[in-house]
Amino acid sequence: MHHCPAAASATLLAVLAASPQGGAFLSATADPAAQTLNGFLAEVERKAFRMAQMALRHDDDALDAVQDAMLQLARRYANRPAAEWRPLFYRILENRIRDLQRRRTVRGRIMAFMPWSRDAEETDSDPVERAPDPAPGPVAQVEGSQIGVALQQAVGLLPARQREAFLLRNLEGLDVAETARAMGCSEGSVKTHYSRAVQNLREQLGEYMT
Amino acid sequence: MSNEPEPSPFERRARELLRESVDHLDAATRSRLTQARHAALAARSRTQPKWLDLRVLAPGGAVAAVALVAVLLWGGSSHHPANDSGGEMDDLELLTDSDGYELSQEPDLDFIEWAAAMGETDPVGA
Repeated sequence: MHHCPAAASATLLAVLAASPQGGAFLSATADPAAQTLNGFLAEVERKAFRMAQMALRHDDDALDAVQDAMLQLARRYANRPAAEWRPLFYRILENRIRDLQRRRTVRGRIMAFMPWSRDAEETDSDPVERAPDPAPGPVAQVEGSQIGVALQQAVGLLPARQREAFLLRNLEGLDVAETARAMGCSEGSVKTHYSRAVQNLREQLGEYMT
Repeated sequence: MSNEPEPSPFERRARELLRESVDHLDAATRSRLTQARHAALAARSRTQPKWLDLRVLAPGGAVAAVALVAVLLWGGSSHHPANDSGGEMDDLELLTDSDGYELSQEPDLDFIEWAAAMGETDPVGA
């Protein structure tokens, strides 16, 4: 009697899949795509959070934005080549950040028209809306030796495209071509946004950053 | 080879500060990010079509293969000529036997005459 290797493998797989321990073993070891995605998300999650936090100036909103970006990447683009994940992820994240900013703006406008909200606005409106802009300002923060915080606040006040270009290049470490893919624009536009961002920041913080 | 210009001291300092801020993220935020990542991975596994998974296909495929072999073996044996009753062959012989056909079409005149004569001489019920 001769043995059929394919049949033996099928039998082994059937036995392993049928038992709970075997199923867990298979799912842990036989899904390298999940492991690769986990590694990628673990690598970008903290940087992504800082980017969202600088843009939104609100920790919970920043966490929501990062979580949504992770979910969308995992659901829609996990089957794409891993090399495409980074620009895709940051594009999703930036879209989510802008959605949250827009929603916040709309909510603020609606609340401003509500007669009953005007009294409450003084005491009970969204703390993010009521939060003073980063006064006393980045330079004052620098004087308190908190140059890192000052830089984050100054970056958060940049126009969206400048902020995006500056952070993708300096926090995520993307080159111009990768940044262009993540921002969905030309490399020339990236260079323009980036140089304006550096110029703006240097005007505010330059003397404290050297 | 990258042909990008060297970062200025300002840019280098900005990079250092930004990366430090990532390294010094508080434990609570790191924990929430880890939870968010696990939720994303779980969502991915839920959206993955299970029927494409070899581990799921293997036992089902084995059962289907065994069933197919059984059907082929059983069906093949039931149609073996040795098991036929012979009725089909009898029908074929009748259809192809020209003598039998002609005999059946020819009237039995002797019997008809005898029956007529019997009817005239000894009617039924008389």
